[in-house]
Amino acid sequence: YFWRRMALTQISSNKCFGGLQKVFEHDSVELNCKMKFAAYLPPKAETEKCPALYWLSGLTSTEQNFISKSGYHQAASERGLAVIAPDTSPRGCNIKGEDESWDFGTGAGFYVDTTEDPWKTNYRMYSYVMEELPQLINASFLVDPQRMSICGHSMGDHGVLICALKNPGNYKSVSAFAPICSPVLCPWGKRVFSGYLGTDQSKGKAYDATRSQLDILIDQGKDDQFLLGGQLLPDNFIAACTEKKIPIVFRLQEGYEHSYYFIATFITDHIRHHAKYLNAWKTPNKRISSGL
Amino acid sequence: VEEESGQELGLDRSTPKDFHFYHMDLHDSEDRLQLFPEENTRMRKEVVQAEMANESRGAGDGKAQRDLQEEVDELVHLYGLEDDHELRDEFVDENMPRTGVSEYPPYVMKRRDPAREQRDWRPSGETAEAEDLGFGGWGSAGQCQDLREAYRYTHGRASEEYECYVIPEEEDEEEAADVFCVTCKTPIRAFQKVFDEHKEHEVIPLNEALESAKDEIHKNMYKLEKQIIQMENFANHLEEVFITVEENFGKQEQNFESHYNEILETLAQKYEEKIQALGEKKKEKLEALYGQLVSCGENLDTCKELMETIEEMCHEEKVDFIKLGKFLKAKTDVEISAQPEFEDQTLDFSDVEQLMGSINTIPAPSAPVINPQAPNSATGSSVRVCWSLYSDDTVESYQLSYRPVQDSSPGKDQAAFTVTVKETYCSVTNLVPNTQYEFWVTAHNRAGPSPSSEHAVYMTAPSPPIIKTKEIRSCEEAVLICWESGNLNPVDSYTVELTQAESPEASGVTESVVGIPTCESLVQLQPGRSYIICVRALNTGGPSVRSEPATVHTIGSYFRLNKDTCHPWLIISEDGLTVVRSERRIPARELSSSDTRFTRCVAVMGNLIPVRGHHYWEVEVDEHLDYTVGVAFEDVTKQEDLGANCLSWCMRHTFASSRHRYEFLHNRTTPDIRITVPPKKIGILLDYENSKLSFFNVDLSQHLYTFSCQLHEFVHPCFSLETPGCLKVHNGISMPKHVTFY
Repeated sequence: YFWRRMALTQISSNKCFGGLQKVFEHDSVELNCKMKFAAYLPPKAETEKCPALYWLSGLTSTEQNFISKSGYHQAASERGLAVIAPDTSPRGCNIKGEDESWDFGTGAGFYVDTTEDPWKTNYRMYSYVMEELPQLINASFLVDPQRMSICGHSMGDHGVLICALKNPGNYKSVSAFAPICSPVLCPWGKRVFSGYLGTDQSKGKAYDATRSQLDILIDQGKDDQFLLGGQLLPDNFIAACTEKKIPIVFRLQEGYEHSYYFIATFITDHIRHHAKYLNAWKTPNKRISSGL
Repeated sequence: VEEESGQELGLDRSTPKDFHFYHMDLHDSEDRLQLFPEENTRMRKEVVQAEMANESRGAGDGKAQRDLQEEVDELVHLYGLEDDHELRDEFVDENMPRTGVSEYPPYVMKRRDPAREQRDWRPSGETAEAEDLGFGGWGSAGQCQDLREAYRYTHGRASEEYECYVIPEEEDEEEAADVFCVTCKTPIRAFQKVFDEHKEHEVIPLNEALESAKDEIHKNMYKLEKQIIQMENFANHLEEVFITVEENFGKQEQNFESHYNEILETLAQKYEEKIQALGEKKKEKLEALYGQLVSCGENLDTCKELMETIEEMCHEEKVDFIKLGKFLKAKTDVEISAQPEFEDQTLDFSDVEQLMGSINTIPAPSAPVINPQAPNSATGSSVRVCWSLYSDDTVESYQLSYRPVQDSSPGKDQAAFTVTVKETYCSVTNLVPNTQYEFWVTAHNRAGPSPSSEHAVYMTAPSPPIIKTKEIRSCEEAVLICWESGNLNPVDSYTVELTQAESPEASGVTESVVGIPTCESLVQLQPGRSYIICVRALNTGGPSVRSEPATVHTIGSYFRLNKDTCHPWLIISEDGLTVVRSERRIPARELSSSDTRFTRCVAVMGNLIPVRGHHYWEVEVDEHLDYTVGVAFEDVTKQEDLGANCLSWCMRHTFASSRHRYEFLHNRTTPDIRITVPPKKIGILLDYENSKLSFFNVDLSQHLYTFSCQLHEFVHPCFSLETPGCLKVHNGISMPKHVTFY
């Protein structure tokens, strides 16, 4: 239990809607550097174990963007969700070229475990998000390790979908904002996505909509510059999910673009979407009904 | 045998006497009251004496015993005779003809069992009972029964007691008896059993006999106690009767007096009239005679004058003599104008006779007072009519007449029915429900009928309503129940009665909603329960019987499809929950536009209960079917597609070139929403409180879309089929938990 040795350092703590918005720093084993993450603890977390919602931010973001711009606190407070928002990449690793591009290196971890030098020592964001961080959170806070959901924006969605689809059952629910880096939307991601989903038939079966409760909510701004640029192919994405029977509700929101203004508009819907599965989980989600 | 027959004779003799004994009439004296207890004690005394005598005479002597028995019986008869004497003074005239001795002996003989029933006086008692019925007007049969029983006891018991005491503790010294002969009822010595007269007889040990005798005594004592209580009660009753008799006689005296005075007055009046009439006649006759006397005198004078004149003429011998004829022509009236004899004047006493005749009878009663109908006293086919009389009246029976009240044709009165009753009430049956009847009553006695009472209108209760079970709609909080009146005429109101079925904490408690003026009612209920609901109709007469019950479950919302709104191309199943669009079509041209029926879009509405709150239902669809499901106001334009106006909110599915397209339409606009897994069952949540309408994929618990809609009125579920196929509505189901998050 190596992570136990690593103390959490609280950077900040602010009361918000009855709960506490905190930022911590710790030494990551996976990433081999100091990492920050934000954790919102709802009022309910003082007395009972709360479900945790992981938020994966988009390119160039840190843990601060989401907690300061999206305005999710009220919804999370009311529904008793702990919200964990990690940074998007290792920082200060002194790797050559890591700060050269906005979409590569620092702030662009893509939530994958790199296999190539010089990145492979530090850029293991997939393992960090999938394993180290949840273990750290579960050990440090009063959260229910059985109830996790994942949500993201932009590049975050890439991580979201990878994490969710590769580990069916790990997350109770999934949602996404403007998944521009969604695996199906770029040749690279398409390959990854189909690799995770298409080749492994036994896993593919696990994603059967009728057997899995994995219900994905996606919001996409219709005026998103990336969508308008023709980089997004929602129809293809929908068609692929239709074929695979992955239950998705994809909402194309008229007039919205890619920013946190868009996220802030619909974050409550997403929190509710997750809360439905996270809070309903205690009692099996079966219909209690009888005919007349 | 001789003795027995002798006794029987004695009994027969006494049989008629019993009648006197029992008869209690209105005019009976109070003496009778004391008679029974007194007699009882006297009787007992005698019995004891007899017993003592028996003791002294020694045991084993059947003869002595018999003698005793005889003595006692004789005593009993003596009392009977005594009673008879007392009574005869009072009743001779009335009872003698009825108690002909010759009438009864055969009857008694036939009944009599020669062995042991010689002391059973019951037959005479029974005949007495039969006779008593004739006097039913006064006392109740029960009283007579009591009386008879009491008497039977005093007599019957005397001999029973005697039997018991006959076994004294005398078996001492040399002749100590050791067994008891049952047949002879006497203790005997064992050896006597072998020969002697007891040879064939049944014997039991003396101790046993003693025990049974003691038991018998105890039983008898108990009976006696009971008897005493009975006698006391009876005495009290007789006191009451005494008072009543006194009162009745007082009334009768008054009545008689007034009649007597009436007759005297009438006679006096008649006397006056006659005297006056006679006086007038006398005066008239005397006047006539006087007048005639006067004229007679005048005639006499004239004659005398004539005579003188003639004499003068004769003397003078005048030629005037010729004139004489003139004078002679003057007539003299010698007819007597008035008859001296008295004319035969018949006196008419018929009215007096009638009055005399009516002295013994009671006056005809005055008109009874009919009561207005008591609330809740009627049933659907009967009413209970009550009336009262003036306390002074003697009434033998009442005649109650009735006929239905008919407003429409007052000229044609229906024939009245009449029933005769003795009581001051009557339950009239076989009437028509929810109908007014007028009742009037007359009292009758020997003197005749009373005038009729006022007419009172009574109403029969209505027929029970009929619940329209197919139109029941419900939700978690309420039920809307409709019914047919079941009555042709209007009723005052309806009552809905609810009982929770199979509910352990509130079992059998019936709640009522009263005073419902119309044939439907929205009743608040508890969620998640089952109720049995009945309806009654009410009018002034009372409530009807309950309607056939209907069962309602407050689980989810329950409704059926409304056939009145159904597009002609659609067929609704018998249960009102499935709608089918078949391939064949009637040309659309033939469809006339309507306000209630969908004519353009092939749709139908559901009848949702008009209750705010939330309602959830599910629709089972074929994923290749083009359908629209949602809600609409009742007055939505039926010539437009659902969702094409601001009065409806709908989810539309179209399936074209193997792609599913989902629209969430309101006022022709829809958000752009893609759904990857086509729902087979759509859950619809209508939430008035939050002004929301949400759609779900039931199998996935997946939220599809939520409308925010301003529902200023109640909406109804609506369903349309754009291609042939079928939709199945599931309702009456509880809301799944996942929908509560939206």
